[in-house]
Amino acid sequence: MNERIIHILIDSFPKIILPGIAMTIPLTVIAFSLALIIGLVTAMIQFANVKVLKPLARFYVWVVRGTPLLVQLFVVFYGLPSVGILIDPFPAAVIVFAINEGAYSAETIRSALEAVPAGQLEAGYCAGMTYMQTMRRIVLPQALRTAVPPLSNSVIAMLKDTSLAANITVAEMLMATQRAVSVYYEPLWLYLEVGLIYLLFTTLFTWLQRRLEKRLNRSVKGAQNA
Amino acid sequence: MLEVRGLFKSFGQSEILRGIDLTVEKGDVIAIIGPSGSGKTTLLRCMNYLERADAGQMVFDDVTYDMKLVTKKEILDIRRRTGFVFQNYNLFANKTALKNITEGLTTARKIPAEEARETGLRMLEKVGLAGYEDYYPASLSGGQQQRVAIARAIAPDPEVIYFDEPTSALDPELTKEVLEVMRALAAEGSTMVVVTHEMAFAKNVANKVIFMEGGRIVEAADAETFFAAPAQDRSREFLHGLDY
Repeated sequence: MNERIIHILIDSFPKIILPGIAMTIPLTVIAFSLALIIGLVTAMIQFANVKVLKPLARFYVWVVRGTPLLVQLFVVFYGLPSVGILIDPFPAAVIVFAINEGAYSAETIRSALEAVPAGQLEAGYCAGMTYMQTMRRIVLPQALRTAVPPLSNSVIAMLKDTSLAANITVAEMLMATQRAVSVYYEPLWLYLEVGLIYLLFTTLFTWLQRRLEKRLNRSVKGAQNA
Repeated sequence: MLEVRGLFKSFGQSEILRGIDLTVEKGDVIAIIGPSGSGKTTLLRCMNYLERADAGQMVFDDVTYDMKLVTKKEILDIRRRTGFVFQNYNLFANKTALKNITEGLTTARKIPAEEARETGLRMLEKVGLAGYEDYYPASLSGGQQQRVAIARAIAPDPEVIYFDEPTSALDPELTKEVLEVMRALAAEGSTMVVVTHEMAFAKNVANKVIFMEGGRIVEAADAETFFAAPAQDRSREFLHGLDY
């Protein structure tokens, strides 16, 4: 690695990481938050066996999980304008990522809900609580603890998948890197650089996951001394 | 105070309860005994609507409920006047011992937090677990968990407490500490319906015994009469050779 490369890497670093901070991270955080809400509602509908809505929930999961994310992005961004629905790149990406991840989160949360022993719900009933009270106070907190590791996996996967949004003209990190490549003609070093920045971001999320898990695990391991 | 008439319940093809009639007076301690699979637990679960009966009537405080068609609201109301202790405790795994007790007071019955806390601490003391309020279920022994579960069941001052084989998951020593607590409750005049395999408890603490088999009540009698001179051959056979 000569001086020129080092100079290029330093020069391009802010050009790549700034779109990361301005686009990649917000896209991930906003879309994933929405996905959690969609996933929670979809999972609850299936768990509680809600009539009419349950087949709809299953249909949603089936379609979204069964089609490529990139195709979904193209349908929304390039396809919908032909029926008069025009959405800007960033909101289009948020919508697609939220709907896509919502289907996966729904399955994660549903299996976590099913992993909570049935006796917990019955104990809530016998304590005089309603279904919703028991779900909110007893079952969901326990399910969420089970769901955190797989959901964290999903956040990290989504953070990396946001690079696909470059295909619908969202000026995120990969697109910024492609621009830098066309300026400096150093594809190897610049793509390695953006890879390292992704690694930096995912490391940050992994660290947050560990902290969250530690907090949630308190009730399980000898917390009486806390 | 509480009466069940003509209770039937099947799971699929198998009939579990085939016409149960049962009366609970205030202050009764009723032991429901019988071989495994006789429907004891299902009976108790139907009485608290954890299972929906196929037919039957319940009279609770002079109000009659159809046990099949009872509404959600009625079930909630009935449950708020009863307590239930499970065989495997079912403590809320995400709550401390104290919160396990106060949850039903604050969330279900809207009792102010401070008052609920005082009640909770008093209940813990009553079951011999003063000082354990911040322990999570996972760090308590089975006997301690069951005593917290009893404290949780009695905290709202229910009219009747159901016990579903409360000591079946415990070793003899832990069984003893749980039975002590139940004995003390009975001595205070609590109304209790206890499904149990503990014949000594049925004999010494209960005032009435119900002997069930095959989804029917074979014999219902005063505890003293039942153990001294069972009226039915099948009861005699069941008691014969049991160590108590």
